[in-house]
Amino acid sequence: MSMQTKTIHVTLNGERREWHVYPNELLLNVLREHEFLTGTKYGCGIGECGACTVHVNGEPVLACLTLAIACENKTILSVEGLARNGKLDATQTAFLDQTAFQCGFCTPDMILMTRALLNEIPNPTEEQVRDYLRGNLCRCTGYASIVRAALEAAAIEQNAAGQ
Amino acid sequence: MREFDLLQPTDLSDALDALAANSPATRPLAGGTDMLVDLRSKRAQADVLVSLQNVPELHGITRDNGTLRIGAATTIAQFLRDPLLTQYDALRQAAFVFANPMIRNSATIAGNISSASPAGDMLPPLLALDAQIELTGKSETRTIPIHEFFLGPRKTARRPDELITAIKIPISSPQSTVSSSFYKLGLRQADAISLVSVAVWLQQDGDTIREVRIGLGAVAPRPVRATCAEEILRGQLYNETNLKEAARVASEECSPIDDLRASAKYRRRMIAVYLPRMVEQAWSKTL
Repeated sequence: MSMQTKTIHVTLNGERREWHVYPNELLLNVLREHEFLTGTKYGCGIGECGACTVHVNGEPVLACLTLAIACENKTILSVEGLARNGKLDATQTAFLDQTAFQCGFCTPDMILMTRALLNEIPNPTEEQVRDYLRGNLCRCTGYASIVRAALEAAAIEQNAAGQ
Repeated sequence: MREFDLLQPTDLSDALDALAANSPATRPLAGGTDMLVDLRSKRAQADVLVSLQNVPELHGITRDNGTLRIGAATTIAQFLRDPLLTQYDALRQAAFVFANPMIRNSATIAGNISSASPAGDMLPPLLALDAQIELTGKSETRTIPIHEFFLGPRKTARRPDELITAIKIPISSPQSTVSSSFYKLGLRQADAISLVSVAVWLQQDGDTIREVRIGLGAVAPRPVRATCAEEILRGQLYNETNLKEAARVASEECSPIDDLRASAKYRRRMIAVYLPRMVEQAWSKTL
């Protein structure tokens, strides 16, 4: 058998993109190797570490378990697309402020998942934060600074909304 | 990953044609969260995948007289959000501990059923709720009670040219005397394969358990009903003696194995702990 590529269009980080992908190409590999967006990481490849988290149509999913071809006409957000016009997202500001990283490998997915959390629950409790991030593993920090960053990001946005 | 063709039908009829044309090297693909892992590890083989993503007939949750009809491609996350499903505690509790929040956005109910892992988390609640599985092929649609659907580890009664199209659950009334509970015992908070799981559905009548169904996961080659334990409780007073006896019977009627996660002995012991707890939890919600 010889696979044929299919030409599809997606919206990636706000830009329309044209991809020529084989059916068996993973979204993770297309992002990293075709688009050179290496913020999304290959951790386990089987959906158990969260390192490949991206947003598709506004929902967090795992790029290692998503076929690129299944993203036709969808909107994809990777960590590179969070900052707008040089302005950091509240999640990014909070993670910097709390130094919520050491090696930085999990930071893209932690930030994207925090973004998804705040989109769904603007004012989460600590328990809700920990529960929402339970599929994203960190080997360095012990999670405390990450949880603080998520709560701070919520506070930043609540304050901004109040004004 | 091995090479495959991907078909993307836009209605059920085309999807069934695609399945019939090439089976058994043709497999349906929904969320892909199990299938892609298996394809990459070569546990599964497929020359052609039929994506169900764009098949509208598989989506939607509707209420039809006394039955709730859940479209097969409903994701676990959609399931959690749907207001029609708020009364099914056991199912919601399972959906909440399912894998991780990202996988929930892609994984489907029918996929979990079709994968038929003995430890599949949605399965004991579906057993306890007496769900029916609707299977559709080119020539016929049939419905199988879920307790007849699982034939062995990862083996089901679905024929290769059939699709699961819906899961149907009876809506019992009155609501206040009926409730369910589910517990999953795992080694971590997410992405855990169950050591054991227990789902209980019961109907209260005064001091008595009028009707009860118990689904157990990860303690047999397939998800099972604890029918002997149910006999102990059915029509009997809700009291500690009966709970203890049901716990003992359930731990003896299941057939767990030793594996890297737990020993059979530990699993039996945990069934004896969590079965009465789930009966208690369900009972307390009816008062």
